[in-house]
Amino acid sequence: MLNIRNYSISKKLTWMNMLVSAVALLLACGGFCAYDLYSFRSALVSNVSTQAQIIGDNTVSALLFNDDHSAEKTLSALAANQHVMYAQIYTPDGRPFASYWRNHPGETRPVPAIASGQTQNYWFRDGHLGLVRSIIFQGKPTGIVYIRSDLGATNDRLKSYAVIIVVVFLASLVVALLISRLSQRVISEPVMQLARTVRIVSHEKNYSIRAATSPNRDEVSTLIESVNEMLEQIQQRDGALQRAHGDLEQRVRERTAQLAVANKELDLRNREVERATQMKSKFLASMSHELRTPLNAIVGFSDLLAEGAPGPLNVKQKRFVDHIKQGSTHLLQLINDILDLSKIEAGQLELHSEEFLVQDALPEVLSTIDPLAVAKNVRLEQKLESKSLVKADRVRFKQVLYNLLSNAVKFTPKGGQISVECVDDCDFVRVSVTDTGIGIRPEDQKVVFEEFRQVDGNASDTQQGTGLGLAITKRLVEQQGGQISLESELGKGSRFTFTLIAVKPTSKIRPAAEEPSKPSVMVPSGRLTPLVLIVDDEVPARELLASYLEPEYRVAMAESGAEALKEAQRLRPDAITLDLMMPGSNGLETLVALRQNPATADIPVIILSIVDQKQVGFALGAADYLIKPVRKPTLLEAIRRHVPAPADEDSSILLVDDDPKALELLEEALRSAGYEVQSVRSGARALEVLANKVVGAILLDLLMPDIDGFQVIRHVRQEPTLKDLPILVMTAKNLSREEIALLNRETQGLLQKDSSWKHQLVAEVGRVIRGHKLAKSAGQS
Amino acid sequence: MNRAPATLQEHHGLWRDRSSLLRRSIAAVLWLLFASSVFGQDKPSEYQVKAAYLYNFGRFVDWPAEVTTATTGSFTICVLGEDPFGQALDATLAGETRGNQKVAARRISNPQEAVDCQILFISSSEAKRLNKIIEALGNRAVLTVSDIPQFSQHRGMIELVLEGNRIRFEVNLTATQSAGLTLSSELLKVATAVRKGRD
Repeated sequence: MLNIRNYSISKKLTWMNMLVSAVALLLACGGFCAYDLYSFRSALVSNVSTQAQIIGDNTVSALLFNDDHSAEKTLSALAANQHVMYAQIYTPDGRPFASYWRNHPGETRPVPAIASGQTQNYWFRDGHLGLVRSIIFQGKPTGIVYIRSDLGATNDRLKSYAVIIVVVFLASLVVALLISRLSQRVISEPVMQLARTVRIVSHEKNYSIRAATSPNRDEVSTLIESVNEMLEQIQQRDGALQRAHGDLEQRVRERTAQLAVANKELDLRNREVERATQMKSKFLASMSHELRTPLNAIVGFSDLLAEGAPGPLNVKQKRFVDHIKQGSTHLLQLINDILDLSKIEAGQLELHSEEFLVQDALPEVLSTIDPLAVAKNVRLEQKLESKSLVKADRVRFKQVLYNLLSNAVKFTPKGGQISVECVDDCDFVRVSVTDTGIGIRPEDQKVVFEEFRQVDGNASDTQQGTGLGLAITKRLVEQQGGQISLESELGKGSRFTFTLIAVKPTSKIRPAAEEPSKPSVMVPSGRLTPLVLIVDDEVPARELLASYLEPEYRVAMAESGAEALKEAQRLRPDAITLDLMMPGSNGLETLVALRQNPATADIPVIILSIVDQKQVGFALGAADYLIKPVRKPTLLEAIRRHVPAPADEDSSILLVDDDPKALELLEEALRSAGYEVQSVRSGARALEVLANKVVGAILLDLLMPDIDGFQVIRHVRQEPTLKDLPILVMTAKNLSREEIALLNRETQGLLQKDSSWKHQLVAEVGRVIRGHKLAKSAGQS
Repeated sequence: MNRAPATLQEHHGLWRDRSSLLRRSIAAVLWLLFASSVFGQDKPSEYQVKAAYLYNFGRFVDWPAEVTTATTGSFTICVLGEDPFGQALDATLAGETRGNQKVAARRISNPQEAVDCQILFISSSEAKRLNKIIEALGNRAVLTVSDIPQFSQHRGMIELVLEGNRIRFEVNLTATQSAGLTLSSELLKVATAVRKGRD
């Protein structure tokens, strides 16, 4: 049955026609048959009924006069009807009276009931008709007659009907099949034709084919027309699509070709750019060297001149030298800034992140700024509340802070105030530099961080900025994950704030500010480094002094006279700086106490005071007396005078540099620090000297003709007797990462030739030589 | 006669349905009573049958029109001589009609009294004076019936005869025709003998 759904339309139509015909025929035949049977039965009943009545009428007298023989005679007349099988007459009270059997006598039937008010009743049962009829004589029931007739005729009729129905049915079906097969084509043929066409169209994707139109005007012809219209549209769209596709492909090809050309051009240009960048880098490297080398000489020598190393200068000479110093320092700063900026822009700036406390790095910057502030009579304050470590490049952090502070000093009028604050702020440490300077106009606040932008109207100062400092500062801060911002009000001052990524302090590294009352050894290192005990009640003063001394000396601190005595006895420092104006105890009394204690009597005490009581001080046994504010060189000079120099017989230093001016400068600086110096002008010469003479250390320039610094290092490290010889490298070269790694591995120190090299140099040399000696003595014992 | 089995059945039903001893015994008594009456009626007595025959003869015979219209409104069956029927005749005729007429029974002692009678049963007690009686009736339209032997041979119209245990009858057609009575062929059909002629 389910398969019929999948039959073709023509089959479906044929089947439907056949089904309809068959059902109609069956119904018709059934109806006729039923009607005929009904009428036949009616006739039969009527016939039997008549016979019953005749029999009844003819047996009335027999009944009334008990003449069963006569009744049976009457009944025997039924033999004429071959279908009557059995007849029976009953008395009115139901007693069998007479009977008739067609064949063998059978069982007498009990009197059948007749409904009251009826004279007759009949039924068809077990293939026969039973009819009972009451015999009425003169209005009175006289007896009952029962006749049983077979349905022989009916059955015959049924049989012949069945044959006729089957024949008619089959014949009709055949005719119906023929007719429906012919007639269904009218409907199915166009539909099948359409289906075939559509299949061909969809299979071959040929939209130019059209379905054959039907001559009929019906739904199918409408459908065919619609399909044809649709095909027309599809054909048009297909064509349009094909054209568009072709266009698109063409366009893609063109674009691809253009792209390829563009790519090629781009590639070429990229290479050019790369080459240009490389050339720029090379140029920058050589520029940095070529520019810094002569400038270093200018700065260094003018420094030496200003300090009066070669001999005292008259006032005019001193002023000229100061001008030279200022000008050259500015120029050097400018060059450094430009180089920094170009490195940042080229993405070549390498940051060496480490974790440190802002408080630890701050004095190094302050020591540089302090002289400027002092010179300009600007008060420098610091509020250090941060307890977190920051993660940043220490050198670059100092550069940032230096830039901000030097700017602040520059734009703050005499008598003003600058403060450095450092606070923790969630995951950051916030450092701000506030000044009471001239301030910045709101419209200028946006541009101060841009390169080569200088705010107008501040040119009155002799120290012109490079216009790069803040731009570099911003880049440096941002590259280290921080942010920089500016608040300012014209005429009242400015506040620059930057952030650095904070690291939670660990127990190992404890911020110094946490226990300000306890003196501590700030730089615990080899015992051979001289120890200086700083006695001052003010934290900033102590830290400033420490920053002056620290690279060269170890520092301990005490904030009161009593503490100073205790610490002096415990630590036995090589020297003591003593402030006189301290609450609770007079510095002079402390001096006396130190002198009286045999354990501390030999320690040289240098008094630092704003009060000039030199005579009293010296009288009480002070080694030196300096008036505050004390400049770093003055302090160092004084301490060096009283602390025995670390130099001895094998502390001579071999200076290697191809630049005679640099050599002279370095010689002068080292000699003044108490070192014996031998200078050579080439790598080859240096190797000769090393072969014949014992030296304490080598101070080596990298860029030299023929044998350069790297080759010298290699030779020295290959020589077994020299492989532990300390080498300090001093260069103006921009070093690559690999070079720095090599130098860190093979040498003991690396100094960049820039503005603040001199003291660092002396300190480094001292450190290296002392370290070497310590290693040697340890090796001997 | 129809009622008896019905009644019996009812009591069977009662008996079957009820189980109390008292009711069963009452039912038994009633059953006995009815049973006796049923058996009494089951075999009708000779004269009960004959009474029915008398009535039935009337249904197969046509009297001349003037006789039936002239009579006083009832169809009368007369018994001449000693009445052998007892209650049976009256019981049989009670409520019966013939056409529009009520059927009634009358006892007479003389043939002269039979003026209003349509059917006259001549008792066997009148056997000795049968000829006189027949003579007296003449050609009167009265259907004479009797169980006196040889009655039909003595110009009697219908003679009841006993054949085994059945009551049959013989007909003297000459007598009836001369009295102007028409007998239905149906009646003749069941007659044991139909006489014609003087005998």
